[in-house]
Amino acid sequence: MQTDAIDLACENICKHFSEFTAVDNVSFTIPQGSFFSILGPSGCGKTTLLRMLAGFESPTSGDILIKNKSVLDVPPNKRPINMVFQHLALFPTMNIEQNIGYGLRRQGVAKAEIAERVAAVLKRVGLPDSGKKRVDQLSGGQRQRIALARCLVLNPTLLLLDEPLGALDLKLREQMKIELKQLQKEFGTTFVYITHDQSEALVMSDQIAVMNQGKFEQVGTPHELYYQPKTAFVASFVGDTNRWSGVVKSSVNQEDHQTQYQVTTNDGLTLDCVSQSSDIPVSSNVDVFVRPEAITVSLSAMDNCLENQLECQVENILFDGAKSQIIAIDKQSGGCITAAMPQTADFMGLKAGDAVYLSFSAKQALSFSEKQGEMNASL
Amino acid sequence: MLVSSSTASGSRSRIKLGMWLLLAPLCLWLLLLIILPHIELLSFSLSDPDEGGLTLSFYGEFFNEPLYWRTFLRTAIMSILATALTLVIAFPVAFFIAKMIKGRSKGILFAMCLIPFWVSELVRTFGWMILLRESGVISSGLQWLGLADSGVELLYTDATIMLGLVYSAMLFMVVPLVSTLDSLDDSYIEAGYDLGGNNWNIMREIIIPHATPGIVSGCIIVFMLSLGNYLTPVLLGGKDSLWFTEQIYTQFITRFNWEQGSAFGILLLLLSSLIVWLGLKVTGQSFTKTMG
Repeated sequence: MQTDAIDLACENICKHFSEFTAVDNVSFTIPQGSFFSILGPSGCGKTTLLRMLAGFESPTSGDILIKNKSVLDVPPNKRPINMVFQHLALFPTMNIEQNIGYGLRRQGVAKAEIAERVAAVLKRVGLPDSGKKRVDQLSGGQRQRIALARCLVLNPTLLLLDEPLGALDLKLREQMKIELKQLQKEFGTTFVYITHDQSEALVMSDQIAVMNQGKFEQVGTPHELYYQPKTAFVASFVGDTNRWSGVVKSSVNQEDHQTQYQVTTNDGLTLDCVSQSSDIPVSSNVDVFVRPEAITVSLSAMDNCLENQLECQVENILFDGAKSQIIAIDKQSGGCITAAMPQTADFMGLKAGDAVYLSFSAKQALSFSEKQGEMNASL
Repeated sequence: MLVSSSTASGSRSRIKLGMWLLLAPLCLWLLLLIILPHIELLSFSLSDPDEGGLTLSFYGEFFNEPLYWRTFLRTAIMSILATALTLVIAFPVAFFIAKMIKGRSKGILFAMCLIPFWVSELVRTFGWMILLRESGVISSGLQWLGLADSGVELLYTDATIMLGLVYSAMLFMVVPLVSTLDSLDDSYIEAGYDLGGNNWNIMREIIIPHATPGIVSGCIIVFMLSLGNYLTPVLLGGKDSLWFTEQIYTQFITRFNWEQGSAFGILLLLLSSLIVWLGLKVTGQSFTKTMG
């Protein structure tokens, strides 16, 4: 690893508020120019972590390094870090130009140069004519871009974003996700983005850290988090998933690092599944996760090589265009299973009450040994 | 169709009646206590008691007699000064209450600003007299410490009047300031620091512009209260306090010259309106904006 390309490094950051531990021994590094997201449910400590990076809180222990220099003693107004606030915090008493120029005026940049740089950044975010407008004359999406421009005009080493898309409506949010990613690429600034919305994190990020109860559960690319979750929390928090609790009956080691287990679920199903860890003892409790889109739906029983096949009856169809889902009741156990609706002609006429067969391979049924504290994963 | 439209107009007229009933006490109050007395004052000030008819001689008297217009000017300047002092003292207090502390202690501190006002102004002013007179608490304290040989008279100076005015008006500055500062989200201040601002320019560019309506409305109230104050200047300033309200009192009660007193009353009204209007113009605020 070439260390000069690391923009931000956090070493064993802890933050305690009297009784409560908000951030618990978190370490990570962010390479230059990347889009790093911290994803977690509300109350997981992600905002506290971000505020420590910005300098509004100081960690109880640990160190924050920017370009290999500790910034713990640097106050927020001297750090090469800027932040886009949750509600943007554009100053309502100033017009757009003055808002963007605020930081430059603080650096003592000459008036003519301020005007020049403000105009340039406004052009780059696609709002070249809005300099004289008041903040309340802009739409939500435009304000978003102005808030970004206000930070980016200062050429920060690191840009922090605190769920800035939360206040936008769905359509605009989808559009801003793409726009944000585009702007990040164009400016080449390192972004640290915190959100509770997995889709925002998956679409935009190079790296995602999933945070829960003050700890990082897993750090990886969106692809890794989605397909190879390391903990039950990550499996349930990132993407939709079906979940069974059960007991391990037997285990077989396979060549490719994975161990295949046979699990009897609490409602009486027998499932073949795999796990990243090979040390789950027989007769211990596990949770099995299967994604709706990993399930093959067929109208008749298949003689294929998929290890798990369940005979079900369609309970309901949640129609949502391409993201439609089938809710099916498993005949053997009576449990509910969600599967992605195939978009082929065979299933056009599928309706509640029809019989379907749901099958999935053992490789797509991930099991995690049940631990305390991971039970409150919000599904 | 006919039925529904008639009921609609019926309910509309009922709403109108309800509105008038609600407004009635306010209108009566305005008419009986504000408008009528002022019309009466105006007609008094313009009428000639000896020959009848209209005269401007009472207004002329004001400009001819230096004591009158000097007192008038002194009252205006002292009131402006008192307003400025109150603002300077109240702003940090309000900022502390609104921004620096959270939760229960905030309510307690705010209540502590309020509690002195449960006591009547007269009693509070006597309280100051007990502290400040020659045989008073502070004077005795200084003598006991050996800092003064004999009793020190702290009453009856301009500084004492100023002290009394600032003290009695403080709450009326703190309340509007706390409410405007409260409405400033902390994230604006944090954004200011985040973008490289220091305490001074965050105060100047973010906090004060946001608080301007509160500052202006507080200043208007405090200025009006000081200008029209009678008790404090008379009790703390003594005979030589030379406050304009005192002149009005003298004309009405001592001299029985109601015409002259009325002219002074009208002049005071004009003066205060003029200064408030100037203040609003200078700060670029509108009256409805600061009061709304």
